[in-house]
Amino acid sequence: MIESFILQASSYASQIDALIWLIVIITGVWFFAAEGIFFWLLWRFRARPGGAPARYIDDHEEHVLKYKWIEIPHRLILVCDVVLIIGAITVWSDIKLSMPATDETVRITAQQWAWTFQHVGPDGQMDTEDDIVSIDEMHIQVGKTYKFELMAKDVLHSFSVPVFRLKQDAIPGRVITGWFQPTITGEFDVQCAEICGIGHGIMPARLYVETPEAHAAWLANPTHYLAYKF
Amino acid sequence: MPAARPIILALVLAVLGGCATELPAAGVARGEVLYLNCTQCHGDDGGGSTLVHAPAIAGLPQWYIEDQVTNFQTGWRGAHEDDVEGLKMRPMSRTIKSAADVKLVAEYVAGLPAKKAEPTVHGDVAKGQAAYAVCSACHGVDGTGNETMKAPPLTQVQDWYVVKQLSKFKAGVRGYEPLDTTAATMKGISGGIADEAAMRDLAAYIQTLPL
Repeated sequence: MIESFILQASSYASQIDALIWLIVIITGVWFFAAEGIFFWLLWRFRARPGGAPARYIDDHEEHVLKYKWIEIPHRLILVCDVVLIIGAITVWSDIKLSMPATDETVRITAQQWAWTFQHVGPDGQMDTEDDIVSIDEMHIQVGKTYKFELMAKDVLHSFSVPVFRLKQDAIPGRVITGWFQPTITGEFDVQCAEICGIGHGIMPARLYVETPEAHAAWLANPTHYLAYKF
Repeated sequence: MPAARPIILALVLAVLGGCATELPAAGVARGEVLYLNCTQCHGDDGGGSTLVHAPAIAGLPQWYIEDQVTNFQTGWRGAHEDDVEGLKMRPMSRTIKSAADVKLVAEYVAGLPAKKAEPTVHGDVAKGQAAYAVCSACHGVDGTGNETMKAPPLTQVQDWYVVKQLSKFKAGVRGYEPLDTTAATMKGISGGIADEAAMRDLAAYIQTLPL
């Protein structure tokens, strides 16, 4: 259902969505259960003319009630926590802790308030003469696995590609690596997801996921910055 | 619930107050309202800020401001990966959504009184004066600029800004777009400046030119 609002355009997008669903369902069940019981109690013990007066309960009754209303739900929540932790760590391990064999590298530099992308040129090597640097537009090929090197020139930024379900902070002085594999072609949004100054909200970039032919055509005749029209 | 009414009213007003932005006084020109977006870096008086490397723009000619804002918008300026300040100005320029609005904000900035900036660069004024002979062909002997040559006045810009822009032109960080013939000219000219010391000499001389 999430993909009907935001496409899944990377190999791990469905895994992230599944984790989000797991969290939503487990916390949702407990939320509605807790609210339902709360409102039921309000209704059940509402003030009524001629109703039974409040009374003290003895230790045994208190123990039974505590077990029923606190101990059992508490243990069930702990079980749910374990399920959530296993789900989250599995996804974290698959996406953040492991790097698959990559086909190409793209270097991403954030600054107030622009993105610079350094793509490898036709020779397939980074830091050579034919590298292509572009401002606010990233061109990649569908199906390839990319390693990214993320940097920031000035303050904290966050490289966010919603269709990839990718969000990674960029920190001045550090080179943060990660990976993605685009699965569908198209033109998508890149945004900064960390408040970085007055221009934070106007710091978008465009991501072009291209077929091998279209990507080769771009490599042969690259654009270096996104033209702007009113 | 009459007793609750003042509380509800106070809450509504508090929320609305939080949402409200600073509204311009009646009769304020649209250019001035648009300029509010620029004040964060260029200052209320257009005097610029050394801290964020924003140049003084008050009193620059309207045609020059229009040209430069448009260049930032199209990518002719500020779209080079090493132009840290230009890349900041680039998205800000794009908040002005029409050519008519660019004109209005440029008109407002041109109307702000120009001020002489404090000197910050140490250079040899005599050497700078000699080197300035080349610049005077377009910018004028008195540094007041020449619209026909698309050369802006230099008398009110900060000296550090002069050095920075000359460095950018020389390195091709500004003037990289061949279609921008004015900037390409400046790129060519700055290629003849030996080094940063020579740029500081020029800036020190330009600083002595009266407004």
